[in-house]
Amino acid sequence: MRDLFFLAYLAVFFAMALKRPFLLVLVYAYIDIVSPQRLSYFLLNSIPISAIAFALALMAWATIDNKRDSRFSARQFILFLLLVYCGLTTAHADFPVEAAAKWAWVWKSLVFAIFLPLTLRTRLRFEALSLIMILCASSIIVTGGIKTILAGGGYGVLNLMVDDNSGLYEGSTISMVAIAIIPLILWLAKYGTIFRPSRLVRIYALALCGACVLIPIGTETRTGLLCIMLLGGLMLWRSRHRIAFGVAALALALVAIPFLPSSFTSRMNTIENYQSDESASTRLAVWEWTWDYAKSHPGGGGFDAYRSNSFTYDSIKLVGEPGSERVVRDHVTDKGRAYHSAYFEVLGEQGYVGFALWAMLHLMSLVGTARIQRRYRANTDPAQAWIAPFALALQQGHLVYLLGAAFVGIAYQPFILMLLAMQAAFATYIARHERARGSVPIFAPRPVQPKQEAAA
Amino acid sequence: MIDSFSLLLSHGLVLLACWRLLSRRDLDDESAADTAASQDSQDLA
Repeated sequence: MRDLFFLAYLAVFFAMALKRPFLLVLVYAYIDIVSPQRLSYFLLNSIPISAIAFALALMAWATIDNKRDSRFSARQFILFLLLVYCGLTTAHADFPVEAAAKWAWVWKSLVFAIFLPLTLRTRLRFEALSLIMILCASSIIVTGGIKTILAGGGYGVLNLMVDDNSGLYEGSTISMVAIAIIPLILWLAKYGTIFRPSRLVRIYALALCGACVLIPIGTETRTGLLCIMLLGGLMLWRSRHRIAFGVAALALALVAIPFLPSSFTSRMNTIENYQSDESASTRLAVWEWTWDYAKSHPGGGGFDAYRSNSFTYDSIKLVGEPGSERVVRDHVTDKGRAYHSAYFEVLGEQGYVGFALWAMLHLMSLVGTARIQRRYRANTDPAQAWIAPFALALQQGHLVYLLGAAFVGIAYQPFILMLLAMQAAFATYIARHERARGSVPIFAPRPVQPKQEAAA
Repeated sequence: MIDSFSLLLSHGLVLLACWRLLSRRDLDDESAADTAASQDSQDLA
């Protein structure tokens, strides 16, 4: 039944793209985020729907779409270099079979991220992609939010429809993504033109934001809690009533603690006492190992190079009944532990060169988007009112990702690469319109003296 | 049950969004936004 539903759904989606070929890009984003082939049982598994959608989107862009405004930006070039470099390290990987398996999905994400900015050349396309990405992620977030309210969830326990714990369906990843998209949801509720601001849209947006906040609680991921705290701080910083909101948020958090599942509060306590937690101790040991590994393998060991690690470390635990607890120091030997950090993931797998490219990409995105935000925040032109808030939403989401990435190996997460591609396209879009200002009307007719501005 | 609800809700909204995009000329051509905006204000009036 589910198979037929997804098949019919995709058929309708593809049919609509006949009228507006850009929808093919949205179809690919939908397939990449929701992975309908993993939600169905047999039919879709046998059809390479993702490849078909990408090939059609590429063909439609190459043959039909207007390429006058398409630009190949510096960030796309860096993504291309990263793609080539990852290909080289895969060819010489420490673990060729495992590296090839990871390469099989990483290259597709990178290629799509390189291609995406070429298609994003109107305001509505930015909005459409943001909206579809959020609605697709909401298929996981809504189910996770409701289940958390009803059952409380648990680390590795909350059922997010798919059992294989990969892609966005992995607990820490969806926790980070759910928090990172909150600013974009709020932006869409205020500046959206597909679903224009109304009471219904605002209520749904707020409910979805609530579900997003519930995801780190339901999955009991410490990374998610840190992301909530960071986003809260960032939003307060930008708020006019920061003291009032800050006090309200603190009071709300204090009131909410007794309602949280006890397994959540006890797990969150391990952020402070990380030595008693094996997963946190392992992380520190893996990061140290990766740091040394990069020194001896500056070119990188290829995907999954962490598999060669092995180390013994001390784990400190409190055992016994409360009141008569004693400290026990355990010698633990671990082998092949994953990086648990995107930064170390890239450093170990792609070496210094790959890390430099990856870091440059993020740095350029952060700086570029912050620049746009600064330049347009005092803009009073109603036609450009969406620009600064959109830049801010992208920037806040990006910062949340950069924090989450410190604890989760999500360097090549397709969803994040799409957000990066969107930032690259946004920068070229703004630059193009700024260049054209003076000779061609931009965005929409300006209400205040367009001639004077043109002359300036 | 919850899974189906979530899937139906999100997929329904995606479809509705795409349906609305079909009639938006400014999806492909920014200058069409002006026409759409003026048409909107006429509709509202």
